Amino acid sequence: MTKKSGKMDRNNIGKWFKSPGNMGQKYSLHALYFCTGCGIIEIPPTITTRWDAERFGVIPVATPRQANLFLITGYVSVKTLRYIIRSYEQMPEPKYTVGFGSCPINGGMYWDSYNTIKHLDKYIPVDGWIAGCMPRPEAVFVAVTHLWTLIDKGMATGYLKYREHYAKYRRNQEKILGELEWPPLFSKEEENEKSREKVAG
Amino acid sequence: MFESISTEGDGENRMTVKCRKEAVITMLSFLKKTGFDHLALISCVDRLNDNVLELVYILSSYGGDVAMQKLNILLKTTIPRENPQFYTATEIFGNASPYERELHELYGILFRGHPRLTPLFLEREYDIPPFRKDFDTRKYVKDVFDQIPFVDDKKGRT
Repeated sequence: MTKKSGKMDRNNIGKWFKSPGNMGQKYSLHALYFCTGCGIIEIPPTITTRWDAERFGVIPVATPRQANLFLITGYVSVKTLRYIIRSYEQMPEPKYTVGFGSCPINGGMYWDSYNTIKHLDKYIPVDGWIAGCMPRPEAVFVAVTHLWTLIDKGMATGYLKYREHYAKYRRNQEKILGELEWPPLFSKEEENEKSREKVAG
Repeated sequence: MFESISTEGDGENRMTVKCRKEAVITMLSFLKKTGFDHLALISCVDRLNDNVLELVYILSSYGGDVAMQKLNILLKTTIPRENPQFYTATEIFGNASPYERELHELYGILFRGHPRLTPLFLEREYDIPPFRKDFDTRKYVKDVFDQIPFVDDKKGRT
């Protein structure tokens, strides 16, 4: 270990005492790679020896129930959206979503396609985006380090937003997919939301 | 039945055979017996100006001599655009089944005699089959995907 990294560790001691939970979340991101579209071709070099994602504490896992980082790699068709939502709802909290490539952001080159959804954040909350078509593996690490900052500052709260505005998200999902075959994860009513707004107002 | 068949080679490895729609199944059967035993693809072209759909069966061969193995046959036929119906080729080539299901949902062609003409790719229902030329994708996106609101958050969280 170099001297510099040792120094960094000492600087982090304060953070570890302040919020050990956050620091634990930060350095053990278990990533679920949702292999939609062309972005998945960047993932094997990212997680293997060439760019070794484990240096950053990112490790691929097999099932959504073990994961807390959700990488959507590429365009999302209507059929895939159903399984993205199912996977997202199975992940334990806290969970972070990162959209990878321009297609989940605003459709990208599929901006007038009949079958791809254009904005992923209308259906599930997204904590960060990586722009590019395609982003290189280094961009994944830039995103991960940005996500560390967000977790430190308590800004990566997409899962809380999903909890709070579940009714709206569910309504959006049902508009595209029709009747969903799984029961709602949280309460579908918007009463909680309204009462909270009253208190805030 | 066979008088309207016209063939045309491009001098290299592709031969285009055009025939009436009644002769297609017979032609496929004949070509398979001749040695073109591999159906590579069934494709469709929407010719909006002529008001027809053009079906293209691409056949190739794994047997025979070298000249035959290099040759691809494009068997073309046209069917009317309104209420398009055709006969299935699954009896001759078993692998025609997924191609016909694909054409059924993307172009709206009804293949008579197909054992299982269920949806293959698409999740939603479309008024006009989406690969037709008169399907306006931009308008569809505006009407469906752009109508869905963003989930706003008072606290301005990402």
